[in-house]
Order: sequence, then structure tokens, then C-alpha cells
Amino acid sequence: MMDVSLCWRPPAWTVGEKRMRTAPTLRRLLSALTLLHVMVQVNSQKRGALRDLKCTTNNLQVWDCAWKAPLGAGHGTVNEVCIDDRLHSCYPLEKGNVKIPALPPGDHEVIVNYLHGFNGSSAKFILNEQNVSLIPNTPEILTLSADFSTSTLYLTWDDRSCAFAHHSKVTWEIKVLRTPRMELVNVVTYNTTLHGRDTVHYWRWTSDLPLQCATHYVGIRCYLDHLHFAGPKEWSAWSPLMNISWAPESEAKAFPQDKVVLVGSNITFCCVSQTKVLSGQIGKTFYPLIHLYGQNVAIHIQNISVSENSGTNVVFMIEDNVCGTVVFAGYPPDVPQKLNCETHDLKDIICNWNPGRPTGLVGPRNTNYTLLDSFSGKSVTFKRFETLTNESYQLLFQMPPHQEIYNLTLTARNPLGQSESAILVNITERVCPHTPTSLKVKDINSTVVTLSWHLPGNFARINLVCQIEIWKPNSKQELNITIKGVENSSYLVVVDKLNPYTTYTFRIRCSTEPFWKWSKWSSGKRHLTTEAIPSKGPDTWREWSSDGRNLIIYWKPLPISEANGKILSYNVSCSSHEEVQSMSEILDPQHRAELQLVKDDYIISVVAKNSAGPSPPSRIASMEIPNDDLTVEQAVGLGKKIRLTWPPDPNVTCDYVIKWCNSSRSEPCLMDWKKVPSNSTEAVIESDQFRPGVRYNFFLYGCRSQGYQLLRSIIGYIEELAPIVAPNFTVEDTSADSILVRWEDIPVEELRGFLRGYLFYFQKGERDTPKMRSLETGHSDIKVKNITDTSQKTLRIADLQGKTSYRLVLRAYTDGGLGPEKSMFVVTKENSVGLIIAILIPVAVAVIVGVVTSTLCYRKREWIKETFYPDIPNPENCKALQFQKSVCEGSNALKTLEMNPCTPNDVEVLETRSIIPKIEDTEIISPVAERPEEISEAEPENHVVVSYCPPIIEEEIANPAADDAGGASQVVYIDVQSMCQPQARPEDEQDIDPIVGAGYKPQMRLPINSAVEETAAENDADSTAGYRPQANVNTWNLVSPDSPRSTDSNSEIVSFGSPCSVNSRQFLIPPKDDDSPKSNGGAWSFTNFFQNKPND
Amino acid sequence: MACHRGWSLYLLSLLLPLLSPAAPISPAEPISQAYSLALYMQKNTSTLLQTYLQYQGSPFSDPGFSAPELQLSSLPPAAVSFRIWHALDDVERLSRGQEAFLALSQHLQLVGDDQSDLNPGSPILLAQLATARLRAQGLLGNMAAIMTALGLPIPPEEDTLGLVPFGASAFERKCRGYIVTREYGHWTDRAVRDLALLKAKYPA
Repeated sequence: MMDVSLCWRPPAWTVGEKRMRTAPTLRRLLSALTLLHVMVQVNSQKRGALRDLKCTTNNLQVWDCAWKAPLGAGHGTVNEVCIDDRLHSCYPLEKGNVKIPALPPGDHEVIVNYLHGFNGSSAKFILNEQNVSLIPNTPEILTLSADFSTSTLYLTWDDRSCAFAHHSKVTWEIKVLRTPRMELVNVVTYNTTLHGRDTVHYWRWTSDLPLQCATHYVGIRCYLDHLHFAGPKEWSAWSPLMNISWAPESEAKAFPQDKVVLVGSNITFCCVSQTKVLSGQIGKTFYPLIHLYGQNVAIHIQNISVSENSGTNVVFMIEDNVCGTVVFAGYPPDVPQKLNCETHDLKDIICNWNPGRPTGLVGPRNTNYTLLDSFSGKSVTFKRFETLTNESYQLLFQMPPHQEIYNLTLTARNPLGQSESAILVNITERVCPHTPTSLKVKDINSTVVTLSWHLPGNFARINLVCQIEIWKPNSKQELNITIKGVENSSYLVVVDKLNPYTTYTFRIRCSTEPFWKWSKWSSGKRHLTTEAIPSKGPDTWREWSSDGRNLIIYWKPLPISEANGKILSYNVSCSSHEEVQSMSEILDPQHRAELQLVKDDYIISVVAKNSAGPSPPSRIASMEIPNDDLTVEQAVGLGKKIRLTWPPDPNVTCDYVIKWCNSSRSEPCLMDWKKVPSNSTEAVIESDQFRPGVRYNFFLYGCRSQGYQLLRSIIGYIEELAPIVAPNFTVEDTSADSILVRWEDIPVEELRGFLRGYLFYFQKGERDTPKMRSLETGHSDIKVKNITDTSQKTLRIADLQGKTSYRLVLRAYTDGGLGPEKSMFVVTKENSVGLIIAILIPVAVAVIVGVVTSTLCYRKREWIKETFYPDIPNPENCKALQFQKSVCEGSNALKTLEMNPCTPNDVEVLETRSIIPKIEDTEIISPVAERPEEISEAEPENHVVVSYCPPIIEEEIANPAADDAGGASQVVYIDVQSMCQPQARPEDEQDIDPIVGAGYKPQMRLPINSAVEETAAENDADSTAGYRPQANVNTWNLVSPDSPRSTDSNSEIVSFGSPCSVNSRQFLIPPKDDDSPKSNGGAWSFTNFFQNKPND
Repeated sequence: MACHRGWSLYLLSLLLPLLSPAAPISPAEPISQAYSLALYMQKNTSTLLQTYLQYQGSPFSDPGFSAPELQLSSLPPAAVSFRIWHALDDVERLSRGQEAFLALSQHLQLVGDDQSDLNPGSPILLAQLATARLRAQGLLGNMAAIMTALGLPIPPEEDTLGLVPFGASAFERKCRGYIVTREYGHWTDRAVRDLALLKAKYPA
């Protein structure tokens, strides 16, 4: 079957109790033989001396004396012993001793009569109690047993051997011997007092060596301390030894098994084996073997350390086997700490504690706890196998009914000891209620509800204090109530002063009186209170339609706190003095109604309705009382607010109404309104709709009994901003020393504030002068006029120079800042007097010269004829042809540019982004232009204006929003024919047909060398309308195959000539070609020219 | 823990054929299933043994601890000479395996009980012992399925433990547990070989 046939064989030890069961008589004899003898001094008779006389007693009744016969006396010769007392009694002598009843104190003469041997001789001695030794009978061991698991011996014996000596003290001596050498292991003394009865005594002894390891023997003796006995007292003889032994099995076994010991104690382990044990170890540590008997060995460990959960292993290695055992070293339980007892429901007491120091013992050796109430005597036990880590221990104690005071003792026990801690509690003061559950809310009306909940427990004897937390949107309220505890756990309270149609969240927690702990909060319960009728009518206003026939009623939705429910509809009715005229129902999302009224004097009432009923009506009179002296005021706000004030008006009886709207909206315009009480003189208007830079109209109405009167009209800004546009202005008139400028108003939307004035700048200057840009830098030549009269619309600038280009700039400003600028270039007229003088003097000089010449010629006509008209004039003498000649000769002195005193002209190259050319020359019939940056060769439609005559008027409109943008437009107006009629042309006259405006075509009429003309006509049919160079084009063509002329046929490049007619910032002929067009190498073209032109 | 649950499901699926009414089925399938299970068990036996020893304290937990001389009379040893093993026929092979795993499953229960006294605070060890027992029972069921498929009588379940020596000392319990977990590994190794042989004999 299931036996661990470990190599250590089954224990074959048997308890060999070899009891000596001897007969009482034999025992008495033996004890008599082994008595200690006391030598009694005997006064021997002359006739013969008694040797070795000893008298003893074991019961104080009989003295037993023995001696050796005197020398010479034959054996068996004594026949009687006589004591010389009153009776003179004689006792027959038995063998070698005589039993004499105890004699009274004092000396007694004892005569021993010998019948034979010495012929009737006798011996005498004196006997006294003091010469008699008291030697108790040998005690008898009743039982000797052993508990091997605890290595404990149990010994029992009785005091029969000393029973005679009542009330005497007896000292017992017990000895324990152990094999193999019968060494004395232990001797103890044990004192008792005799009571006269046959008492059994117990003695227990725990061996340090397990009892299985060796045979143990026990013997006992006693010593009777009898007070009234005068003689010497002596120990009894040792009882026969009894032994305890273990029947060894065939298997080797180690002992003690599964012993629980205190950490730090000393302990001996042995191995009972039939074969040789090689080594012994505890855990990993080997210990020296102590040989017992046979093959049994032991090891001894001192100061054992705490075991792990499964215990410390002790292993003996035997030849071909092992034997082992486990010891559990730990601590006795610590005193339970932080013992705390409370109840949740007054039904059970829950006690918590902390176990303190770990014992190191688990499983069946783990600490168990007993909680005992000493008043009721009830107890509960806590037992767990595994150790709880970091967890407080808990026990539930069922409360006996009607008991309030408890004296609770918690006892911790484990195999190593026990400890306890106690607590005295009045349990009604230690109540921590459970979490309230089943919280329910019921409506009573729109402001009162009942709360009911379940709180498990029997609180009939105490009061509960509960806290109700009432949450509504954005607020929290706590309510403390005291309720009498009930047995059935159901509680109900009424909560009032709630708001109608409001979602509340209730939750509750409870404690008891006196306060100990709050329960946890119950889960929240949401509840919507029922609706009530709206507490107020809606805030109402009315506006007459623009035709004055219809009255539009506006009202604001009621705030939730006044609506008291969901507003379903509004009832609008109007009544005059006579009757209620009409009534209409408007469903909720709409907050206006339009009424067609016959008269203008009605009272309009508006009622809001929810499911609970209608609100009180809010009334408003339709009549608008006219006000004649109405002025428009201005106001500027702060932040998002605007403050309006007005003087108190006693006529206003009901209230003031301020309505406002965006001034750009059409009438009737209403953004919002605000009512203020009639006693106030100011109002702060605030709205999220207000935007800075937007003009609002505010109207203050006063309410009188008949109706509303408009008291004030205010225009205002929440915040003023700078205008976003510049005023449009034109030059009305120009003279030689003055310019008259006229401008227009800026629209309100673009003004963005109250107009505070204009700044007018003027400055001499041409267009595109970079320094023109900076107006604020305060150049001395910039003149500024600040026009603060906003009604002024014209300005004459005087003291100007004639025929000078001026730049004019106009800006508007508000308190929010300066607006953008708009600029224009104007050239003043020439001074007419100077002009006349300038014409008249040359004419006069010419006339005089003519007259003088005519006179001279008339007088010298013959000489002249001979000198000047003899022949056809020699062309070489003609200076006018000198230039042409030098060109023809290829001279490097290409003096054309220098020698021809030309009027400076402009070459303007303007870029445009739009497909429609924004820049054009209305005067030049054939625009010659290119878009140098975008296109290299194609798109002949995009032209560059080459102005030929000095511009008369230039207008520049600066775009402040896009000063540097590529879209900046510049316009050049060239008017050659009407030089005396300068005028500003708006830039949007761009759709004038350039051909229609054909005017000045000077190059076209230039006389051209006929030979050249013919070839040009053939090749350049398309370019005939174009500009003709004043120089002979042929001269270039001859030297340059890539000359402009050669590309003309492709219409890509319009031939252009006469470098002397161009006043350009760029030399038309590149510097490399300084000497001759020949050196150009054919790369010279207008295409190149424009492409090479840098971006300026 | 998840793998344990998954394993239980696997076992359930393995045991399902047993629950269905006996029908002549090919032995290949139950052999294959049993072989898979045995292979799976084989992967965890050394872990079980190591975990077990680790909780028993020195010298059990010392590295390289081995005590092959320790045996339990109630547990048939897995060690067998190759000649004898090879000479076994299918019936003997299967019935010895069944006998061993029946004993093992009972012994593993005993060891689990012992350890819940000695190491109550070691859920890992207790869980591994419980799992090993479950697997032994699973393999037992698989072997029964093979025997059914081969038309062999299934030996009745025996109480191999008999009278449990409840008074065994802690040391005896530790040794007993060691022998059981060790033999569990040995028997699993042997079962893998047995089943591999059978698998080769009854190809799918």
C-alpha cells in the first residue's frame, strides 16, 4: 500500500517498557535489604558485644534492628530480646534482626538473651529514637509514557510508601538516564505534602533530544521530612528504572518531525538508521554528527533562523539513501495592532486589526484569531492558511440583541504562543452606515419633491444624520437632516424650495448621532422638476413698419429661470380703449408678430405659455409720440460696452427703452433693445454682436402713459477705427499758381469712425520719385494742410509755381487713425505773360533781321547774285547735310545724339498683369510696346508706351493697401495737341480706341530717303504705321543682318529709331557699340534692349 | 492564466470524442490527438519540476538537485529497460501508460493538497500542479479513446492511492511531491515515445 518506501526503512523501534512487576513481599524484602544502615552505638555487656547494630524505621511504628552476633556466639542461639521497660516485654528473635514497636522517647535498655553458646549469656544495649533512622519505603513508578511528537515523558507514581506520615513534606528525586552510556540526562526534585491518602503524582519532562533517538530511563526516590521524628532521615532507595524506547523501522527516519520552534532557539535532530549516516545538514549548512548508539546520529543547531513557508529541511545522507525532516522556525504572534471595531448596520460588529510582525509560519501553523466578547461570552474565530500581506484582518461578530457595550478581546494563537489585545466599545457610537441605495425622487409639485432611500441596518435606537447634496446646473447645495432611525431601513424626506422645470441631481450620505463616520455617497439621481407657469411675461418691443401701417411686435425668449418650463407658444393680442381686438397664437421659435392696425393707439400684450399655463401678460403701447427737437448725438464705447446717459425726464413714467441697430441696415431696423427703469439716467449697452468700426444707431425711447417717445438718437461706435479708403478727389481748376481740389465724402461703412478731418499734402515732384512715398517724414518741401472742417469739400492751393508738377495727397482721419492716402500729379499752367514775351521778342527780332537783310539784299543784289546764284549750289557747302554725310562715311563720330538739340522725351516701359493693357498711349497711333518681363518675343499686343512728348499731367493713385504690389497702376497721360488744356484723366478710360485718338504722328511724315523708302515699303508693310527712325535705317541694315529691320517682317519687333528723340534712362545703343553700329555684331535689337533693361 | 483557459478548451475538444457514442473510428485520429497532447505536456514537465523544487527549500531548491533513488511504491516507475519496452504490445503499452497516468493524476491531487499546507501562499505552484493533473486526465482520456478505437477493453479505474498516509511528515510530503512531479515528466516522455510508435503503426 501507500507507504513511502524511502530508503530509510520503516521504523522498527518499539516502546520497550520492561516493567518490573515484582510481588509486594519480595519488594519489601528487597527494600529492607537495601536500606541504609545506621550504626548504633551499643554498650555491650561484659559477657559479649553486639556488632553492627542498626535500627531503622520506615513507618515510625516499628523499629527494625539488626546486628551481628558477638564473636563466639553460634548462629541461632539467640532466642529472645527483652526490653527493659515497665512491662519488661520480650520479643522472640527472628533471624538476625528484631522488630520492635516504636518505643517512647528516652533510653531503653535492650537485653539480648542467648540460649545457647554462652550458656544463657545475654547482651545489653541502650536504644533511643534518636538512634533510629527514618528510611521511607522505595517509591513505585506507576506509569512511564512518552509523547514522541513532542519528545515529552510523562511519569506517574503514588505516595503510598509514605502514606503514614500525614502532613509531612516529601521530596521526590527523579532521574533520567539515556543510552548508550546510561548517562544522567536530568535529575529533578519534586516536593509534595502528604495528605494521608494514596495520591498519584505526575511529572512531565521534555527532552531536548527527540525520544526516538535514544532509549530513556527514569528512576525515582523519596525523602520524608517528618517533623516529630527525632532520628536521622535518609533518602529511600531508587525505584527500579523504567525506560521508553522507539521501535526502529527498517527505514531510516529523522526526528523531530514537523516541529515548530521559536526563531533563535537551539534544537537537536537525530536520524534513526540501521546503516551508517554520512552527513547531516540543515538547509545548505552541514553540521558535525553526534553519534548516539548504533548507527543513530544527531546534529545540534543553535540559534535557528526563520524558516521559509515550507519549513527548513534537515537532511541526513545515508549510504544509498537519505533521511530527513522539516522544522518550522517562526515567531509567536505579535500583539494585534490597531484593533478597531465598528458596525455598519447595528447587526454585526466588524473588527479590523493589523497582525503586526509576521510569524513566518503559514498553513496549519498560521496564526488564528479569536474574538471574544466577555459580556456575552460569544466568540468568533479567524483562521486562514496563507498569510495576508499588507492587508488588515477582519472579523465579523454578530451582535446579540439589545447589547450596546462590548468588551472585545482578540486573541492571536499559533504553535509558539499567543497574544491578545482588547477594546471596550459602545457600539452605538461606532456606526458607519452602509452606502444608501435605491434613492428615488417623487414630485409633489414643481418646487417640492420627496426623496426616499434604503439604508440597510436596524437603527431604531438611534438618530441618523443624513446629508443631501442637491446639484443643479452651475450650483450645489447641501442639506443636513436628522431622522429617527427605523427598523425596516426605508427613509423618506421632503425637499422643498426647488426651481420648477430644473434638472437636479440628488445624492445622499448618512451618519449617526453621535457622529462617527459618514457613509459613502449614494449614486446620484437625476430628476427634472415639473413645470410651473412662467413667472413673467416676455420682454417686448414694437416697431412700426416703414409704411407706418403695420406694427411689428418683438419679444425676447424668457430666460430659463422665468420660463419655468418649455415655452410652447405666445399669445399676442392688441386692445384699444374699447375692445380687445385681435389675438393670435405664435408658436415658440418665432419671437415676432406683425399686426395690421387701423389706429396707432393700441395696447399690445404678449403672453408666453408652457404646459403649466400662461404667463402674466407683458404690455406695450403702440403709440409713438413725435418729438420735434431731436438731435443726433455721437457716442463711442469702451471695450464691448457703450454707455449712454440722458437727463432725467419726469414725463417718463414707465421705463426707458434703448434700441439699437447697425446704421447701414434699412429701416425698420432692430438688432436688440434694452429696458431700463424710469428713474435711471444712464444705461450701459453690451452685446456680443457689436463690432469695432461699425456704426450703430441707438435710440432712446421714454415710455409715457400714451406710448413711447423717441428722446434721443445717438450714433456710436464701440471702437473707432481708421478709414479704410481715401477720399476720392479731383482737380477742379488749375492756374499757373494755384490748384483747386474737390473731394467726395467717404461712405460710412468705409469711414469706420467719426470723421475728424482731412490731411492734404502737396509737394513738387514728378511721378516715381522715390522720396514721394514718405509723407510722414516731414520733408521741408512737403506742405500739409489739416482740414478739420469735415463739411469742407474743396481746397484751393495757392502760391504755386507755374508749369510745375505737383503731387497732391489727400487722407481722411478719424479718432481711430489716419486713412490711406490717394495721390495725384498735377502740372500747373505756364505763366501767360512770360509766354507772350517769349513769343513777341523773337518775332520782333526776326522782323528786324528780315528788314535789315531785305534792305542789304536789295542794295547788294548784283553781288549776291554773282556770289550765290551763279550755279546750282554745291552740296558740300551745305552744313545741314554734314551729319548724313558723316554717317555715310562710317565715321566714328556719331554725333547725332549730341548735335541735335531735341526736346527731351520720355520712354516709359510699363508692365501690366492684366490681359487688357492698362497703359496706353491715346495719342500715338501705333503703340510700340512689349512686356519685357513676361514675354521675350511673342505677344505683340502687349506694348510699351514710348512717350514722345513731355507729359502735361500725370496722375498717380496710390493704393495704400498694395503699395508695393505688382498690380500698382500708373497712368501716363500725354496730350500733345492740347498742351494748353491740361486735365486729369481717370484711369478707367482705358477702353478708348487708341486709333480713334490718333493725333501726333511726327515720324510718319519725316522725309525719308526715297531709295530706302522703297525697300522699306516692300518689306515692312505692317510696320508702316510704326515709328520711323530719324536716322537712315539703311545704315544699320547694311552692317547688321540681325538689325531690327530684319526682324520686322515677323512683326515681333517694331522698328524704332532716332535715338536722339528718346530721352531714356538707358542708352538705346549699348555701351559696347559706342563707336559704330558695326561692332554690334547683329545682337542689337529692341527685344534685347527691353530684355536687358533692369527692373526699375 | 489565459493560456490555462485556452488549454481547458483544448482539453474539452480532445475529450469530446469520448462523450460521443462509441463508433468504430480510425485509431489514427485519437492517436494523433494523444500524441499532440503528450508533446505539449512534455514542454512543461521540467517547468513543473523546477517550480516545485524551488518552493521546497534547500536542498531541494539547490541547483542540480536530484534524488533518483527516491521512489513511491504506489506509483509505477517509468523507467523500463529498452528490451522490455520494445517487446510490449499495443495493449500493454497503452494499459501501462493509462495505469501510470491514472496514478499520476491522483498523486498530483495529493501533492496539490500537500502543497496547499506547506506553501499556501504560492498560487503559481498550486496552479501548475492543478494544470498538470488536468493534463494527465486529458491524456488518460485520449488513451481510452485509442483503446476504444482499437477495440480494446478499457481497464477500470482503480484507486491507486489506497489509504492515504495522512500522517506523512512534511519531509515525506516534499519527497512525495518531488517523486510525483519527476515521474510525471518521465511518464510523459515515455508516453510521447509510446504514442509515436503507435502513430507510426496506424498512419492517418
